[in-house]
Amino acid sequence: MKKLEGKVAVITGGSSGIGLATAKRFVEEGAHVVITGRRENELKEAAASIGRNVMIVVGDVARLDDLDRLYAVVKEKHGHIDILFANAGAGTIAPLAGATEAHFDQIFDVNVKGLFFTVQKALPLFKDGGSIILTSSVANVLGVPGFSAYAASKAAVRNFARAWTLELKDRQIRVNTVSPGPIETPALETTTGLTPEEAEQAAAQFASQIPMGRRGKPEEIAAAVTFLASDESSFITGVDLAVDGGMAQV
Amino acid sequence: MTRLNGKTAVITGGATGIGRAAAKRFIEEGAFVFIFGRRQEALDAAVADLGPNARAVKGSVSDLADLDRLYAAVKAERGSLDIVFANAGAGGPLPLGQITAEHIDETFDTNVKGTIFTVQKALPLMGPGGSIILTGSSAGTTGAPGFTAYSASKAAVRNLARTWAEDLKGTGIRVNVLSPGATATELAKEALGEEGQKAYGAMTPLQRMADPAEIGAVAAFLASSDSSFMTASEVAVDGGLAQL
Repeated sequence: MKKLEGKVAVITGGSSGIGLATAKRFVEEGAHVVITGRRENELKEAAASIGRNVMIVVGDVARLDDLDRLYAVVKEKHGHIDILFANAGAGTIAPLAGATEAHFDQIFDVNVKGLFFTVQKALPLFKDGGSIILTSSVANVLGVPGFSAYAASKAAVRNFARAWTLELKDRQIRVNTVSPGPIETPALETTTGLTPEEAEQAAAQFASQIPMGRRGKPEEIAAAVTFLASDESSFITGVDLAVDGGMAQV
Repeated sequence: MTRLNGKTAVITGGATGIGRAAAKRFIEEGAFVFIFGRRQEALDAAVADLGPNARAVKGSVSDLADLDRLYAAVKAERGSLDIVFANAGAGGPLPLGQITAEHIDETFDTNVKGTIFTVQKALPLMGPGGSIILTGSSAGTTGAPGFTAYSASKAAVRNLARTWAEDLKGTGIRVNVLSPGATATELAKEALGEEGQKAYGAMTPLQRMADPAEIGAVAAFLASSDSSFMTASEVAVDGGLAQL
């Protein structure tokens, strides 16, 4: 039995990593997915690797016009949304003493403002009884040197789920966050500004802090997101689901 | 759905309520399930309903000899064990001012000591890929008037998973806590009555109590490889009750 048969899902940050793995899993479970990302070539490659029941819309969640375009396409193509995975995120490293305004703005524009309007603008299309999943992070409860803006932005995301649970309860729309620990995604190498050697060191450092002794795989987060998207989690709302190998739990 | 094909599971408190719903779900997903409980009549009825892939062992989690018999039965028939759902629990209300030593002992013997030995005695039969699920409660993180002993015992259970995730490092065995909120088990429905059920529903953001099958579905997720990167986590299945 497929868990998401016939459902329409929108996934932001869908061209790589957790977003792409989740898009693949959703399609395997019977859903139609619309994925967004800023880079057209990567999105096209992602769509090709998903293979079927996928549509792409190029755009940046920090730009409200792009979100309007996204949902206009979704409306025309599918007419409604059952599942929203608001997953697009930014996370450059900058120690407090040297962090620039541009660093701070980029993180909060994408992770907080972008996510806020990703959800708000989806609501008119949302079916009652749907599921919204927000990507937070184990950093929402951890001190991570150099990641203070990122961690604070992810704590904001976790709290969005609380208020929105209440705001959307009359529509029976569930809102939860998923908080991955360190994951084997391209982001550590491509977006943090680390050299390959530094990224490798960081990965080893992370693994030593995780009770499971390893980083997670994007597919493992995708499985948890699929659980939150499906009726399997029908009595779960307002939670922060940590999928972190125990990193922030012990 | 056959995520638990060929797996062997033990469910304590498995004859009724959440444990029974989880047993049903585990079997639907391909598992062979041993349910453990104190009342023979309830166990017999459950096994009759659950079918050929269910076995019942009578006993109490607070009696270590009973647990030894449980695992001896598992070993004899299946040889090994993949999933432990340590779900047996006890605890009625008794307001501060009226709490007795017996009340504390009874609650902690079942919920804390019983959970510890349910898991410890299972370990020799378990290996990589194993999953341990402990039943916590929304009361473990909230104030629940009159429920001093129960709430404290469930907070203890949540913390057991933290320590055990470290103790089990390198074994490939995961341990997580499933914390239900107000759940419409037969027992709860009887104890609360119509009015009580409505009141619990009204307190919950989803505006209702859980169906035990909804808790069983989450137990199946935690038992399966769909939760393969989760350990030491707490999954609240409470309709938002303790989350806001």
